[in-house]
Order: sequence, then C-alpha cells, then structure tokens
Amino acid sequence: MNTNNHKNTAIELSEINKSYQKGSNTVVVHDNFNLAIEEGEFVALMGPSGLGKSTLLHLIGGLDSPTSGSVTIAGQRIDSLSEAKLTLWRAENIGFIFQSHHLLPVLTAQGNVELPLLLTPLNKNERQQHAALALRLVGMEERAKHLPKELSGGQEQRVAIARAIVSDPKIILCDEPTGNLDRKTADEILTLLAILNKDYGKTIVMVTHDLKASEYASRVINLEQYIAEGKTIELCKAEVKV
Amino acid sequence: MNIFQLAWRNSFRKKTRFSLTCLSVMVAFFLFSLLAGVNHALTTNVSSDNQYRLMTSHKISLARSLPVNYQQKISVIQGVDNVSYASWFGGFFQDESNQLAVLAVDHNSYFEMYDEYNIAREQLEQWKKTRTGLIIGQAIATKYGWKIGDKIPLSSSIWMNKEGSFTWYFTVSAIYQSSTSAGDEKRMFFQHVYFDKSRAYARNTVSWFIPKVTIDADLDGVSQQIDALFVNANGVTRTTTEQVFIKEQAQQFVDMAMVIKIVVIAVFFTLLLIVCNTMVQTNRERLNESAMMKALGFSSGFLVAQVYLESVLLLAIGALFGCLFAQLSLVYVKELFADFLPGIAINPSHYITVSVLVLLAAALCSLLPAFTLKRLTISHSLGAKA
Repeated sequence: MNTNNHKNTAIELSEINKSYQKGSNTVVVHDNFNLAIEEGEFVALMGPSGLGKSTLLHLIGGLDSPTSGSVTIAGQRIDSLSEAKLTLWRAENIGFIFQSHHLLPVLTAQGNVELPLLLTPLNKNERQQHAALALRLVGMEERAKHLPKELSGGQEQRVAIARAIVSDPKIILCDEPTGNLDRKTADEILTLLAILNKDYGKTIVMVTHDLKASEYASRVINLEQYIAEGKTIELCKAEVKV
Repeated sequence: MNIFQLAWRNSFRKKTRFSLTCLSVMVAFFLFSLLAGVNHALTTNVSSDNQYRLMTSHKISLARSLPVNYQQKISVIQGVDNVSYASWFGGFFQDESNQLAVLAVDHNSYFEMYDEYNIAREQLEQWKKTRTGLIIGQAIATKYGWKIGDKIPLSSSIWMNKEGSFTWYFTVSAIYQSSTSAGDEKRMFFQHVYFDKSRAYARNTVSWFIPKVTIDADLDGVSQQIDALFVNANGVTRTTTEQVFIKEQAQQFVDMAMVIKIVVIAVFFTLLLIVCNTMVQTNRERLNESAMMKALGFSSGFLVAQVYLESVLLLAIGALFGCLFAQLSLVYVKELFADFLPGIAINPSHYITVSVLVLLAAALCSLLPAFTLKRLTISHSLGAKA
C-alpha cells in the first residue's frame, strides 16, 4: 500500500503471524502485524526485548518466513519464494549489519568486503575496485589489508557496513549495529548509516535499544506501544520522530 | 579471492588441529602405499614373459623334489614349447645372516626362458663351459665387490656335498643386469649338473620345472595335462603360472593380500572417523559464519562445496606426504626383501587409487557437515530471539 504521493513502498508486512514451538508450547511472536516502510526511509525499531524486533528484521530480509501473512519487498512477495530463490534475492537486494559483525577471520578487510561480490558476474579486478570503493566510503581504505583481529570493534563494524553496501542493495537491515560499541564509535557508525540513507538513498531498518541511535532515524517505531495500540500501517507511517 | 582460496585459508585456521589430522592421514596413506608396494611384488614381480611360463612343483611341498626325467615327459605335451628346471640351494655367504638367493639351474635352457636377465654372450658361454661357474647379479657384485674370475665359497643350509661339507666353491663367470624394473639383480645361478653330481643325496631330482608354453596355448589346459601325467607317480605335481607360484610361496608365510585388505580397511575406517570428526568440529565452530554467508546470499551448495574442498585439501596433503614417505621407505624395504620378494615398488596406478580414495573419503567426511549446513536456520544461528 502506498499512502505517500511521491514515494513507493519499499517494505510491506501484511497480516503477519509468526509463532514457533517451544517444547509443547506455541509461542506467538506476532499476531496480525502490519507495517509499511517507504523507499529512502531510515526506520528505527525499538522496544523491550522479546517483542520480536529481530524476528521482524529477519522476515524483511528473507532470513525467516512468517507463519502466515505476506512480506512484500519492492513489489515482490518473498514469503512464497523457495530457499534457493530467496538466497539469490537476498544477495541482490539486501545488505545485513549485525551486532556481531561476523567477519571471516581468515580474510582481510578487503577480502571480507569482496565476499558478497563472488556471487556477481564481476571479474577479480572489478570486485577489488568495488570493495575498495566501499571501504573508502566507510573510511577504512587504509585498513584494507588488515585482518579482523587487527581492527578495533568500530573498525570491524565499518568493514561489516562496507560488506553490506558493496553489492549496492536498496535495503540495509541492521540488528543492534552499535550494541557492542562505545558511545563515540557508535555515533560514528550511526552517522555513517545516516549518510548512506540521505546521500545514497538506502532504505534502512535498524533494530536498536539505543535511544541515541533513534535520533539518526527518520522514523522511530516503538514496537511495544505500536502493538498495544493496534496501529495500522498508515498510523505507523504517520508516527513522528521521538 | 575465490572458493578455492577461501577453502585454503579456512583449512589453516587451526594449524595444530590441521597438522595433527594431516599426520593421521599421512600415516594411513603411508601404510596403504607401503602394502601396495609389497602387493605389487606379489602380483607383478616377473617380466612380461611370465605369462607363458608355468611352474611345476611337488603337490605336497616345494621342499620335496621331483625326478629330473619329468623334463622329457613334460616337453612332449602339446602346447609346451620348452622345459627348464631349477633347485633351491639355500645359500648364504660366511654367515647365515647373509642369506642369498642361489639357484642351481639347467644351463642349457634356463636363460633362454628368462631373457629379462641381460648377460653378455661371451660371459654366458664361459659360464656354460665352467662347471663351478656362477652367474651373479650386478647388485651382488657391487655389494661384495666380486668380479669375474673370483673364487667364492658359498654355504648351503640344505645341501651337503660329497666331501661332507656344506661349503661349496664357485667361480664368478658372468654378471647380469635386469632389464625390467620388476626383476632383481640379487640372484645367483650355477649349473645344475655340478649341483647334482656334487651333492651327497637326492641326486637326479630338481625342486621345480619351468614349462614354457606356446603363445596360443591354453594355460589351464596345459597345466592340467602336466599334472594328469604324474597323478599316479611318486612325485605328484601341481602346475600353476609362475605368477601364482611366487604369490603362493609368499603366502606360505602369510596371506599378504588378506593382510593388506584388513589393514587398509581398518586404517581407512579410522581415518574416516578422524577426518569426519575434524570436519564436524570445524563446521560447528563456524556455524555463525556459515549463517552470515547464507544471509549474504551464498547457497547451501556453496558452503557444502567449501567444506568438501577443505576435506579434499586435508586428505590430499596427508596422502601426498604418506605416499612420499612410503616411496622413500620402499627403497629400504625393497633392499631388505630383494632376495625373497623382488619387484617391490609402487605401481603408478596406485596413485590413481589414492586420488579416488581422497575424493571419496572427502565426500564421506563432508556428509555430516553438509547435512548441518543444509538445515542451518540463519535467524536461529545469528541469534535472533523473539
């Protein structure tokens, strides 16, 4: 659904139900959940632990599938895609940044950033050029030859961001990207994400507990309040910055 | 960077574990290659001519002799081209620990059949003219520094001569080289005539006959005809091909083929468990990274291929060193058993078998990790909680 006149809906979750089995109990994570995010938005998903913020992120990124309901990204329903198609789709459309950067310790910063490009038809030189560009964008070009263990936490997260953007995805999903960082480094990372959003038009969805982090977002969704009030997609989009 | 480089770098992530596992693989392939070298000697240690050479010995035991006049009777059987004979001397030089492969042979026919022994014509003629003449292999000549014309005393652990001594005297008349890699240069030959006339007992007998058949002859048919000829005689015979004969002699001590099979199966089963365990452990430690790679868009197939390549690498490096050390060790083993089991060597086809085993074992070792990777839930592995 597109309620904004000049922008398209990038992400649309419609009537999402998500539950899982824990022993003999069925745990309901989301019940008839709706959400829409427009292209170019920087959305911060906030709220206490256990509300399903990361699950939402994983549903959007095709890492998990809903029990029922639809997940539509850039006009394409992904909840019905096969695992193989979903894998290809992720490679082309989504960049992930996690709290733990999960860089491969055996590869240099350059190698880690090049990794997603192995799935593209780019040749070796092109891959290296793209990776160098991404590293420059996050201010890590001088550390390109360093292994993750030779980098600080903030630098590792910058490399993870470079890896997320190197294949030029339209959507970047961040799960607590500053959770392991000190304030100053966290601010640097958030500034970087804001630049990617404003200057490069990336749609960013960020799960965070950090109130300061929400200041960088163009929209903040407090999931606890949102679920309690049973807001619709439209209401959600009208929510103001905290 | 590509999948091969990624697998290479991942392999050396835990250097100690990789090295120790490699060492296990190396030991497995070392044993396998060593035994294959011995097996090669048991199956292919005679020249290509051997397919036309039969061996006729006493049915009960090689220690029992056969009458020399069997030569004439065998030679008239259809399909038999020529017949020679030989007797085991059981020789040693100076001390019983210096065992030597010494044979008394029919000087007229033996070397016509064994053309893999290269002997200068004039030397062979000289040997035939010299009653106590001895033909020695080049390796023996080099080892003891013997040359043509030298008088050599050799002792027998079996045969006493008419003088009541177990020491026999010979004159080196010829030195031979072997024309095949399978042949050896550590044998010694002297005239059966001298042997027969000089020994104190069992005259006019031989240890075995060597009937050479014609190219178009039916080996089984000729063998059966020979044995049928002496079925009611005192010396009942058993005729086989030379290859089978040598193999059976070695198997009197131990069923080598069976030992090889059992050792190889045991070794590879253990090897599989070790490498499987390593790969499962490696995979488990990297589940988060694998989940991240899946999140980035890498398929399960890519991750499984990576595990497979790492398994191949681990096994291939171990196998390479195992084969290399076996090859080096066989130089010594070959020397040690040259008198009794010539032709110990690793056949080039063995390396094809090793390659296939490496690829197959790598596939088996990748099965469990592959199953785990296929079932890997990204959201769960990356720590998503409701």
